[in-house]
This record gives sequence, structure tokens and C-alpha cells, in this order.
Amino acid sequence: MIYGTSMLAIVVFVTFVTAVLALSFWLGSRARSAGGYFAAHGQVGWFVNGIAFAGDYLSAASFLGICGMIAFFGYDGFLYSIGYLAGWIVALFVIAEPIKRLGRYTLADALNARFQSRGVKLVAAVATLVISLFYLVPQMVGAGALVKPLLGLPHWAGVVMVGVSVTVIVATAGMVSTTWVQFIKGTLLVVICAFVVGLILERGFTVPATPIRADEVQTVRRDPDGSTVVNGAPLTVDNQLDTRLRAGHGVGFGSIAALPGGVSSTGPLGPFAYIETFSQSTVLTWRKGVDAQGATTFTPVERKGSDLLLPGANPTFRGVRDDRVASKLDFISLMLALFLGTASLPHILIRYYTVRDAAAARKSTVVGIGAIGVFYILTLYLGIGAMTSGALDPTDSNMSAPLLAKSYGNGLFAVISAVAFTTVLGTVSGLVMAGAGAVVHDLLRDGFRWKMSDEQQVRVGKRVAVALGAGAIVLGILFEKMNVTFLVGWAFNVAASANLPALAMLLFWKRTTKEGVIAAMSVGLVSSLAWILLSADTLEKVYGYSAADAAAASIVPFSQPAIVTVPLGFATLVAVSLVTGRRGAAKP
Amino acid sequence: MSAEPRQNRLGLALFVLYTALYAAFVAVAAFGTFRGGAPDGGLAAPAFGGLNWAVVAGFALILGAFVLAVLYAALARPAEERSEA
Repeated sequence: MIYGTSMLAIVVFVTFVTAVLALSFWLGSRARSAGGYFAAHGQVGWFVNGIAFAGDYLSAASFLGICGMIAFFGYDGFLYSIGYLAGWIVALFVIAEPIKRLGRYTLADALNARFQSRGVKLVAAVATLVISLFYLVPQMVGAGALVKPLLGLPHWAGVVMVGVSVTVIVATAGMVSTTWVQFIKGTLLVVICAFVVGLILERGFTVPATPIRADEVQTVRRDPDGSTVVNGAPLTVDNQLDTRLRAGHGVGFGSIAALPGGVSSTGPLGPFAYIETFSQSTVLTWRKGVDAQGATTFTPVERKGSDLLLPGANPTFRGVRDDRVASKLDFISLMLALFLGTASLPHILIRYYTVRDAAAARKSTVVGIGAIGVFYILTLYLGIGAMTSGALDPTDSNMSAPLLAKSYGNGLFAVISAVAFTTVLGTVSGLVMAGAGAVVHDLLRDGFRWKMSDEQQVRVGKRVAVALGAGAIVLGILFEKMNVTFLVGWAFNVAASANLPALAMLLFWKRTTKEGVIAAMSVGLVSSLAWILLSADTLEKVYGYSAADAAAASIVPFSQPAIVTVPLGFATLVAVSLVTGRRGAAKP
Repeated sequence: MSAEPRQNRLGLALFVLYTALYAAFVAVAAFGTFRGGAPDGGLAAPAFGGLNWAVVAGFALILGAFVLAVLYAALARPAEERSEA
């Protein structure tokens, strides 16, 4: 679709981003030492740090991805909300305080506190880099998707804007300003989403005056000469995918087909009545397909609201409705990865080092869980609101939340987009910090034994941050076509497989040896990566196989590895630790 | 230091409790909600207030995480203050 740009949107957006960057410069001018750069002197207040946790965690994938998935498939998107939040329980109750006592700047420091082993440092640094990278790419792709409609710029421009802004934030200030950016963004995201949910409840549901008929199929075809044909005519501002629908029915994609009791409009609804009414309604959704001419088709399909409030409406999770246990494993494995992945994400872990002590880390997490929980409950309303707003872009689920805001006017659209863009900025800054910390401390200083003073560490850290920012820009452009949520799912799987067995066993099993940790992290990292890269989903969506060829060529039975690779990591750690521990004991 | 074992035990107990709830939710979603591809009981069953169990359980898991976190912070703090005294 072509999105008209608005001057107001551009002004609000530029002002917002500039203000955040200016604040970051100012705050960053107060951090000088390595402790200040990498861990904000360990002096960030627990409340600010807690909201910054929320800011770190509520990435573009949470905000754009979850809202989009609920808007397209209902409850399946909400499963992500539940799983992402449940992961915090693991972080708080099992990992948070011990890791705060163990570490200084990075995950590797914490893992290595007991062993002083170069091997552990190297493996942990590599795992941190790989996971950060997996998490960086979808954020950059999300930024590119955002600026297209808002500023009318191409994808690469958005990626470059994020890359440059983040590099400036990180290179000038490090963890202090990263924390403040996350704090501002976390607050704004929750407050503004609550405001939009208020508008959604106020609007209630309305059935279009003339119903959309089942034969009103909409088509888009991209011709070899690069032109795009929509519903038989060239794509222009006046002929877009939803133009004909709007002309005939007053709404675009995503609407209510019938309300309970046959009423045409509900008026304002309470939070529970809203969901109850939705579950008793019939919703008009659009099924994507391909016609004989190779055009992408969108066919109206009426679905019961009650069906959309259950898992398995999305093709990805369809297996959960199957009677065979094997087809349910993909769903179970994803829920496991979401549960265990949070506590293993490097950019979440480093936030435990920015507060003073274990008690502050604990209070931070409580504040973080509260803010994130509120946001995730809001996502269900945002998603259902977008699903029935008549403002969806059926070609891009990631745009659902911004377009929902646009249905309330350009001002709100600009604000939401600016917050989403800052969301990307904040998350990417955190990830680049995690990566830079891993490279400087774990790879260069400890792994390769570079001798560096405090000041040199900061200088090298900034150079590494610039390099990572540049790398992320390139990847964000290369991976434009890749599905954002798909990549985030990978990051959680890899993080849980590589880090969690080592972290958990180190904290709770005294016979863990450094060889066990190294082996478990290597096996978890390599096996989960290999599994993902050989899965049918990857063959189809990344390497461009047809669905049938991908299913035939794939050697792993489903796409989410955690259910296999996490236990594999634990088993490796126990086996190697037992063998090496006994050998160590034999020669006192 | 004396506060640590107590807090670890408390944290682990709450962790086990929440994990059991989460596992039950995943198990009911996977094995108790659909028969022959159609919704049949489990999360599809009506709970209260016109909501089905899927929505109620989802909200409950999110709220429950926060409640347990607050509980943990409240119960763990006195032990720590004693140890500092």
C-alpha cells in the first residue's frame, strides 16, 4: 500500500527523536569511567531501571509484532504476550540475584566468576554476539518498515537512520543514556497504548452499512517491469488495495461482519464487555492466496470471534488443533523457548549490573514486570481493536498498531510511530551495548589478553559499538523481506539453548565444571542454530524453497528447537561435568 | 549472607508454583482444548463474565506473575534487612 505522508507526522517524529538524542548526549556527558560506560556506575535507581527493563524488553517485536499477530490471527499473538511475561518469572526467581552477585559487566563475567577460564569467556562472548545479532536484525527490519509509511522513505533509509542514531547514542554515552532512553520509551509506550485502548473501548464495534460480500476478492500483482497492479488497475494514491472497499463499504480491511443481537453498533464498552461482545461476533478476516495469473489475492472469510480467541488460528500454530501429538510439539517448543529465553537474553542480563545491589535488582524486576504486564494485557485490546478497525494493511501485519492509531487521526499516528521508532532505537542501543561489552571484556581483554587501561576499554568499546552499528545497518537492509517475529523466535530459542543450562546449573549444581559449561554452551548454541537453519520454515522463508520442497528437504521435524536443544544442553553439561569432575578429583 | 539461602528457597518455591501453572496452561491448550480440529472444552469453555478460559487464563498468568513478584519482594526484604542489621 502507499501511505500518504503528513507534515504533522514528520514534525512530531523528528522533534521526538531529536529530543531523545539530545537528552542522551546530556546524560552521557556525565559518564566517564569504564564502570560508568558499561554499567552506568551501578548507580541507576531501581525504579528507573525497572521501567528501563520494560523499555529494553518491549522491543519492536513486542509492540509491532504482537499487535500485528493478534490483529491478523487473534489469540495466537497473545500467546507471545503470555510467554514473554512468564519468562520474567525465571529471570526474577532463579537468575536475577545470583547473577548480580557474580558478575560485573557481562554474562561471561557472571558465568566465569567461579572458574577464571578463558574458554568460558570466549564461548560466552560468542554466544552473546550471536544472540544479540539475531535480536538486532528484526529490530532494524522493523525500523525500515516503520519509516516507509510515516516519512515516505524507502526501507534502507529507516535502517540507516536507526543505525546512525544508535551509534551516536552508544558511542557518546554508553549505559547511562541507554538506560534513560529506555526509561523514556518504556513510560511513553505504556501510557500511550493505555490511551489508545481507552479510545478503542470508547469506539466499541460497528458493522459496515453495506456488508462486504464473500466474492469481493482483492488482488495485487507485481509485473516483471516493476509496476504493481491493484484490482486490475495500476497502483496509485487513488487506487490502493483498500480503495475499492472504502468506496463501497466505508471501511478497509478488518471489520466486524455481524454483532450479537443483530445490532449495527455497540457504542462504548467496558473492558470485559468488549471481549465478550467480540467473542459473540462474526469477524471479517482476509485469507491470502495466489490466483492463476500469479497475483496475490485477499479473499474475505468470516470467522467466529470465539474461534479467534483460541490458540491455533494462525497457520504457524495450526498444529495445536491437530489430534496428533507430533504436530503439537512445535507449539509446545515455542512456549518453552519463550519461558526460558527471557532470562538468557544478554541485553536483559546486563541491566542487572546497572543497579546498586541485589535488592535493587529485585525491585527493578518487580517494576519491570508490572509495566510489561500492563502493556501485554493492553496488546489484546490493541490487536482486537486493529482487527476490527477497518484500517489494516493485509500485506504487512507489522503495520497494524500504527494504522490503528492512524484511524484516530494523523497526530496519534505520528506519536505512536515516533514511540515505536524510539522503541527500536532503545532496544538496538541495549543490544549494541551488550555486544560491545562482550567484545571488549570477554574477547579482547580476557580471551586474547589485550592489555587495556580503563580509558582504552571505553575507547575500544565505542569503536566496537560503531562497528556493530554499521554491521546491523547492512544486515537490516539485507534481511528486509524477512519476517520479524520469526527472527525473534530464533533469538529466544538460541538464547535459551546456549545460556540457560549453563546459567542454571552453575547457580544450583556445585559439581558443575568449566569444561561442562563450555561444552553445554557450545552444544546448545551450535545445535539450536543448526536446527533452525535446517528447518522447513527456514528453507521456505529464507532460502526461497517452495513449501513442498522445504518440507521434503528439511531434516528436522519442526521449526522451534528449544524442546530438544535445551535438554541437550543440560545433559551435555551434566555428562561433561561428571567426567571432568571425577578426573579432577582423582589427581588432588 | 544469611539471607541468601532463605531467599533462594522462596524464589525457587514461587518459581515452581508459577512453572506448574504455566505448564498446565500449555498442556490444556495443547491436549485439552481441541478434538478432531474443533474446539471442545478446555480453554474454549466459558469461564465467567462472558470470557472463555483462554482469555481468563492469559490474563491470570500475566497478573499472577506480577502478584508473585510483589510477594517475593515483600517477603524477601525483611530477611535482608535483618542480615544488614
